[in-house]
Amino acid sequence: MKEVNHSYGTGKIKVPVLFDINLHINQGEFVALCGSSGSGKSTLLNLLAGLTKPEQGKIFVSGEEISRFNENELCLFRRRCMGFIFQSYNLLPNLTALENVELPLIFSGVSGKKRRQKATEILNRVGLEGRIDHRPNELSGGQQQRVSIARALVNQPSIILADEPTGNLDSKTELEILALMREMNRENGTTFIIVTHEQEVAERSDRVIYMQDGRIVEKRTRPA
Amino acid sequence: MKWTDSFRIVWRNLWRMKLRTALTSVGVMIGTAAIVAMIALSLGLKDNAVKSLENFGNLTELPVEPMYWNEERNEPIPDDERKKLNMAAVQELKAVPGIAAVMPMKRLYEQAKLKVGRREGYVELIGVDVRESADYRKNDIEKGTYLSGSPQEIVIAYGVARELRDLEKEKREERRRNASGGRQSGGGGVEYWGPPPDMGENQPTLNLVDKAATLIVTREYRVDDEPKYEKKEVRVRIVGQLIQAEGNRYQDMRSVYAPFEMIKELNDWVMRSRGDEGSVSPRSREQANQQNELVFDQITVKVESREQVESVVKALKEKGYEVWSPARELETINNFFFVIQLVLGGIAAISLLVATIGIVNTMIMSILERTKEIGIMKVIGATVFNIRWLFLMESGFIGLIGGLAGLGIAWGAVELVNFLGSSSDVMQTMGMGFGSSEESSRLAYIPSWLALFAIGFSFIIGLLAGIFPAIRASRLSALQAIRSE
Repeated sequence: MKEVNHSYGTGKIKVPVLFDINLHINQGEFVALCGSSGSGKSTLLNLLAGLTKPEQGKIFVSGEEISRFNENELCLFRRRCMGFIFQSYNLLPNLTALENVELPLIFSGVSGKKRRQKATEILNRVGLEGRIDHRPNELSGGQQQRVSIARALVNQPSIILADEPTGNLDSKTELEILALMREMNRENGTTFIIVTHEQEVAERSDRVIYMQDGRIVEKRTRPA
Repeated sequence: MKWTDSFRIVWRNLWRMKLRTALTSVGVMIGTAAIVAMIALSLGLKDNAVKSLENFGNLTELPVEPMYWNEERNEPIPDDERKKLNMAAVQELKAVPGIAAVMPMKRLYEQAKLKVGRREGYVELIGVDVRESADYRKNDIEKGTYLSGSPQEIVIAYGVARELRDLEKEKREERRRNASGGRQSGGGGVEYWGPPPDMGENQPTLNLVDKAATLIVTREYRVDDEPKYEKKEVRVRIVGQLIQAEGNRYQDMRSVYAPFEMIKELNDWVMRSRGDEGSVSPRSREQANQQNELVFDQITVKVESREQVESVVKALKEKGYEVWSPARELETINNFFFVIQLVLGGIAAISLLVATIGIVNTMIMSILERTKEIGIMKVIGATVFNIRWLFLMESGFIGLIGGLAGLGIAWGAVELVNFLGSSSDVMQTMGMGFGSSEESSRLAYIPSWLALFAIGFSFIIGLLAGIFPAIRASRLSALQAIRSE
């Protein structure tokens, strides 16, 4: 039912980044986007998120052409369908973990009690019991990333886009976070698209897409 | 997003930068305080001025005169074009919308003497239309009743009772004083000193109501250049006494009001006797002519309500009557205070403009500071509208805080001014407070509409200041915002 049909071709006039990308990602897939710096993987992710608009080509998510959405529609679309995980966590420093997770629900207009319950639930789920009233600077990197995963998941989006989620973490924590994301992927059927250049991440993905100089050079599907 | 949630976020953001919020709202505070205090002061002063005018006379009763001076052509209006205060004029005045009653008045051309028992004194006899004036004069009665329409009734003004002297008694006492003073040149004769005859105010005012009295009118005529005097006496009954009129002219103090017919008769008698003689002055002949076509000395119109006074005055002027009304003074006062309000309002408006720029500045600063935060919010699902709303509310609240603080300060200032004003009697020196009533001792006051207006206005100022920053914030590219550190 849910399919990400991504046919895409762009030629940035000044600095071409992506060339004739055609990509299809299925619902529930756990996809790693790999490639060296400047290969265009982050750009691809931003296009998927609707944060940038393609110069040419079309992007479909769940059968909707998001490349034709206006700013406000994109915001609503992201609220409904997408969660984000960043390398630098991007938590609001003056809010507690709980409030950070609640924030997407606030914008969706969920009432206070329900919101708190949902956020607490999901924070417990990512293993942060007893930490929900701490501020980001009182948490370790791994814990902060867990908070941001919780935040990405709290709206129950169908897709989660992660931009080097483990880039700032040591390898042990990295594995924990990865395991958590896989778990979420399996439990909720959420599609994960992860930009990374870490081998461990690629190894644990359903599919690895290698990019080089703005082109897809290799798609490797790991047998399930 | 829910209202309560958005307010919580806004409040948190403001609280986070409390010093900046406070400093920014100080600008609004000063502007609002200036506006409110000044409007309150001018309202208070105006109220006092109006009140003191109202003490002068009833604002809804206007004396009407024919217009003597053509203001447009700047020349006197000739006699024959001038309006006459006759029955036709009364009818014309009655037709003017807003006029409740027309009360014509005619004076006796001679002084009359009122005699009650042994006391007597000179009074001014005024004839009034009983039917027209009864409804409005009834309220002014202190004792007794108003004229009912029966022929030989009179109503006296408050001062009349004091004017009457027992001449016989005074003469007697004077004689006695002189006598005793002559006999006992030393001390000890004090017991014979009666009250000085002029100290009428110390005497208990005697009640004249429901007493029979005699009006004595004297006419003078000449036979072979020898002045001759003739007296006419009219038996009347005093049915009522008017209340003491405030701040009125001396002659009103000793007025005696009688039905119109009685005055007409007396006037006829006075005039006829003059007209009988050969040496009639042109003036008295003219008066006699006027007498025949029934010309009144004065017409007082009663306006239905204070709000209608101005329109009535305007209508009367168009018809060629001259009207003096405290309402016209009121108009001058209004204009005066309007100018003051304009000036003060201008000053306050400039300070508010500066405050607005301050808010814009603060908001732009905080957007720069929170670029990343805005980006994150956009990514996790805040719409363009959400972002705009948050920033609009934030700047609106800065305005609101400033407005509330300014209102508080203005209130304090008003209280201070009133306190100083009442303790040092500034009012009396300024000539504002004729009446010593409690209310008029307030130099300034803040009506509730002014308070609401101030709060609403400062909030709107904040909102206006927030429009540009809010749009800027919502236009931020989420991607760049997130990347910025």
